[in-house]
Amino acid sequence: MVEIQGISKSFQKTVKDNTAEIKALTEVSLSVRENEFISIIGPSGCGKTTLLKIIDGLIPHDSGQILINGKRISGPGPDRAVVFQTFALLPWRTVLANVEFSLELRRVSKEERTSIARDYLKRVGLEEFEHHYPHELSGGMQQRAGLARALAVNPTILLMDEPFGSVDAQTRQLLQEELLELWQRERKTVIFITHSMDEAVYLADRVVVMTPRPGRVAEILDVPLPRPRIPDVVRRDPKFVELTNYIWDSLKKAMENHH
Amino acid sequence: MKHRLGVNILSIVTFALLWEIAGRMMDTTLIPPLSKIASAWLRLLMNGKLLENLAMSLWTLAAGFLLAVALGVIIGVLMGRFSQVEHFLDLYINALMSAPMTAFVPLLIMWFGLGVQSRIAVVFLFAFFVIVINTMTGVKQVDRIFVEMARSFGAKELEVFFKVVLPAAMPAIMAGVSIGMGRAVKGMVTAEMLLTLTGVGGMIMQYGSAFATDALFAVILTILMVAMIAMQLVKIVDRRLTGWKAEIAIE
Repeated sequence: MVEIQGISKSFQKTVKDNTAEIKALTEVSLSVRENEFISIIGPSGCGKTTLLKIIDGLIPHDSGQILINGKRISGPGPDRAVVFQTFALLPWRTVLANVEFSLELRRVSKEERTSIARDYLKRVGLEEFEHHYPHELSGGMQQRAGLARALAVNPTILLMDEPFGSVDAQTRQLLQEELLELWQRERKTVIFITHSMDEAVYLADRVVVMTPRPGRVAEILDVPLPRPRIPDVVRRDPKFVELTNYIWDSLKKAMENHH
Repeated sequence: MKHRLGVNILSIVTFALLWEIAGRMMDTTLIPPLSKIASAWLRLLMNGKLLENLAMSLWTLAAGFLLAVALGVIIGVLMGRFSQVEHFLDLYINALMSAPMTAFVPLLIMWFGLGVQSRIAVVFLFAFFVIVINTMTGVKQVDRIFVEMARSFGAKELEVFFKVVLPAAMPAIMAGVSIGMGRAVKGMVTAEMLLTLTGVGGMIMQYGSAFATDALFAVILTILMVAMIAMQLVKIVDRRLTGWKAEIAIE
């Protein structure tokens, strides 16, 4: 269980000798249940990515606290792994060596990490590409490798930062389906950042709508759609349409209040 | 690739032929025909003079260059990683980067005498600064997302450096090393001409003042060959270390 309690965060931004304080997040609170799939949606600049980095322990926050299973976090930990929007695969490593990277840092022995990495490459359908370099793969395949790298350390919480934001629409749908399948099998807590309403609703158990800067939680919505979710069925479900429309209105309202 | 090699050979043959013809037509010692240069080269090779001097030159080159690479990379990394170190040093490094190094030769003679140490110091100074600047730039330009990714997976500072920053900066470092090699060869010849007349640089001065143009050209061509082989060696190392980069560039 992840408890996000009253997180606030400001940045100092310097433009031509003028230092301004920019409030990125104010009093963000949210409880994520074990094995729950949460989507966080909001306009760009609402601090979604900042929130994710704070949950990962990569950057400090000004006030509030993050508890994981009741324990306060103070930095990155083996219980969490991130999937990055730009994949962040090391270009000088093969796909296999990239997946091994996360295990290398955890001091897993050479043979063991190769066999674990191979196993996860297989699960994301990349077993035939282990000796390729990232630039030889399509965006979708690169993100599968990024996902394999995150899963390889067997985290309980998967933090995904607009992971499918830089692939084409068709690949995106495919990756969404694959992610749900994986999640159904592996049972992880997923916190998924997106700016696509369709994606947020299709994937998640609950959708968190955030306001423009400074980011706050505007609403938390339950997604009343049965699982497993079959894309064509789900997207035609009146409840799906209703919910995406509702989120659209909610976002619009939040934007208007902001201006 | 094959096509290019053919053009290269054609270029060399054409140039050699023109040289030979021009040399014969002018009939002067100032531009000896290539055949005369070749026979002078063989003579110098046979009597051992060329190899003996070349060995001395190469030792200077290797010592000065390797020292420049080692120290240049270390200082460049420190400057790239720690902005305090950068701000402390960049004034001097930038000033010396484009300063004419020959101006320091008298000073080096006073410090190190006329021996091999002085010549090594000249080679070092010629190659050092460009390696520092390229390394620093390379380290500073490492994509932040890679560092963030490594930290997120629990990397400690040293692991971030050796597993992410250094390999990511390697293409820039090797570019600096490559330019540094070219400069090191210049430094080697300069030192031998300006300090004690030893090595291939010393031979140039000796044959130059004796108007032995055929031997002079033979030495110059030897130096060019040494420079090309040295650059090729750097390229081989570069390809081993950063082959991935070349492949990306091709696509």
